[in-house]
Amino acid sequence: MIEIKDLHKSYKMGSNSLHVLKGINFTAEAGELVAIMGSSGSGKSTLLNILGMLDGADSGEYILDGVPIKDLTETKAAQYRNKFLGFVFQSFNLINYKSALENVALPLYYQKVARKERQEKALNYLDRVGLKEWATHLPSELSGGQKQRVAIARAMAAEPKVLLADEPTGALDSTTSYEVMDLIQKINDEGNTILVVTHEEDIAHMCKRIVHLKDGVIVEDKKIKQVRAEQYV
Amino acid sequence: MFDRDIWQEIFHTLRNNKLRTFLTGFSVGWAIFILVMLLASVNGMQNGFTNQFNDDATNSIFIRPGTTAKAYAGFEAGRRIQFKNDDVEYIRRSFPDDIEYLSARYYSRTSARYKSETGSYPIQAVHPEFQMIEKTIVINGRYFNEADLTNKSKVAVIGRKVAEDLFKKEDPVGKFVEFNGSLFRIVGVFIDEGDDNAERRIYAPIGTFQRIYGNTNNISAIALTYNPSYDLPKALEFSRRLEDIMKRRHKISPEDQAGINVWNYAEAFNDISSFSAVLNTISIGVGFLILIAGIVGIGNIMVFTIKERTKEIGVRKALGAMPKQIINLVLLESTFITTLSGFIGLIFAWIILSLIGPNINTPAFSNPSVSLSTVITATIILIVAGVLAGLIPAIKAANVKPIVALSDK
Repeated sequence: MIEIKDLHKSYKMGSNSLHVLKGINFTAEAGELVAIMGSSGSGKSTLLNILGMLDGADSGEYILDGVPIKDLTETKAAQYRNKFLGFVFQSFNLINYKSALENVALPLYYQKVARKERQEKALNYLDRVGLKEWATHLPSELSGGQKQRVAIARAMAAEPKVLLADEPTGALDSTTSYEVMDLIQKINDEGNTILVVTHEEDIAHMCKRIVHLKDGVIVEDKKIKQVRAEQYV
Repeated sequence: MFDRDIWQEIFHTLRNNKLRTFLTGFSVGWAIFILVMLLASVNGMQNGFTNQFNDDATNSIFIRPGTTAKAYAGFEAGRRIQFKNDDVEYIRRSFPDDIEYLSARYYSRTSARYKSETGSYPIQAVHPEFQMIEKTIVINGRYFNEADLTNKSKVAVIGRKVAEDLFKKEDPVGKFVEFNGSLFRIVGVFIDEGDDNAERRIYAPIGTFQRIYGNTNNISAIALTYNPSYDLPKALEFSRRLEDIMKRRHKISPEDQAGINVWNYAEAFNDISSFSAVLNTISIGVGFLILIAGIVGIGNIMVFTIKERTKEIGVRKALGAMPKQIINLVLLESTFITTLSGFIGLIFAWIILSLIGPNINTPAFSNPSVSLSTVITATIILIVAGVLAGLIPAIKAANVKPIVALSDK
């Protein structure tokens, strides 16, 4: 599903150049649930941004679902993001003046799905994250965990090939974190490919594979026995 | 453009920022208001000028004799020029293609008596064609005609005020009035828009009057209209030719400005037209400058809005919004504010104008109003202005990098 070969990325900081990714090689099959770990500055967020086409690599190959991702124009990147990727952010990034339902429907709007169908689909996804009753509420009326569940529903609504979660539990307490991980595990159980960036060990162990990044290279890549989050909820 | 979701978003932003929206909108509304008022004022001045002129045909030329200021062809300076009947015939023969209507004018004053009512009025003895030159409107009866002229009939056309003075409620047409002791039959009553004094005048056939009073061939002045198809240069060229030929006939030096006076309405009219055209241009210019201030205001606010919404735009882009969709959103918002507030300014100006405009009627300023074309132009300007105001902010918004927008956690 994801194939990365010898990926390099550096940032210019004035006259200095900061080499963040120093040749990453990585593959993920369909249906995998991968945790990307590393301390801050290890390059894990940069990697996720490149995977999410929010940023471009300097060199190396990136193939997503058989499509080589390179030389993207803004418009093309927008189309690919919409078609291939779902994003879950640490700070939820819901649009605060739109209701939960409208937030979930937004990627469908950019897919040019008709209004009625959009509403139905969005409601269906809200139902799957257990927030059907909260459809008309604004984000400010939801708890942190609920917001992240809305964000996950929004990421899933576009039916992406890969779900990218950047510290999805970073802003949540541990109970709520496990609820969110439980939801992510269930989505993965349905066969969706998910990448989770985290620096929390317990969250990482709820995935099926852990990739450790340090100083811009992968230092460890191991399959693990998944800890189900359900038992803590 | 007619996407419900976009409009929902626009209304939402506007609702959440009522004061900001109002202040921005106000600057544009005010600018349009001033622009329309300025144009209407110029229009009012133009109307005022036109009213002053429109009781005469705009293609008319008046020739008046004067006193020579230069010695010429053996004559001393200071000679009084006197026009005669054959001057009129001479002009008619000399310019058969240039002249539309031609008439002599003989000015006098007469006492008038009908039954016990009397009065003293200026009287002009003219040719029947003078009706067309002066645009005299006969409301009752008729003007005198060629037959009256050749028969030297004692007929007259009187102004409405004269009719009121002498006849009170009686119908004057067909009645006989005593002018300086001779009986004249009244054939018509005329009115003159905008000028009451002109309605205290009497017109009579020239021949009749010349015969009765002094048995003379003298005339006071000559009035004519030229071929209405002439444009200004051609009209001016014609009045020059006319002046030359009359000066030659009366042995006046070509350089003598005082011996004869040829007054061309077109020239005066043209001066005023170009004067109000300049005024018009100035007011459009001033209006535009004010409008630019309004546009900059809207642009400024939009830039600010975009900055505030950077994160939101980043999220939208991460969710698959294309740059042109973002641009659309911003442009539509700025165009909407501009057009709406501009329209409010426009309607406001229009209401004020339609309330007070018709009540203003002074010689120099009359019925200020705006034409439909002005309104349409203003609307187009507004839409363009809105797009311009939103353009820079929209491009700024489209260039928002999702990664930058999302990184400030």
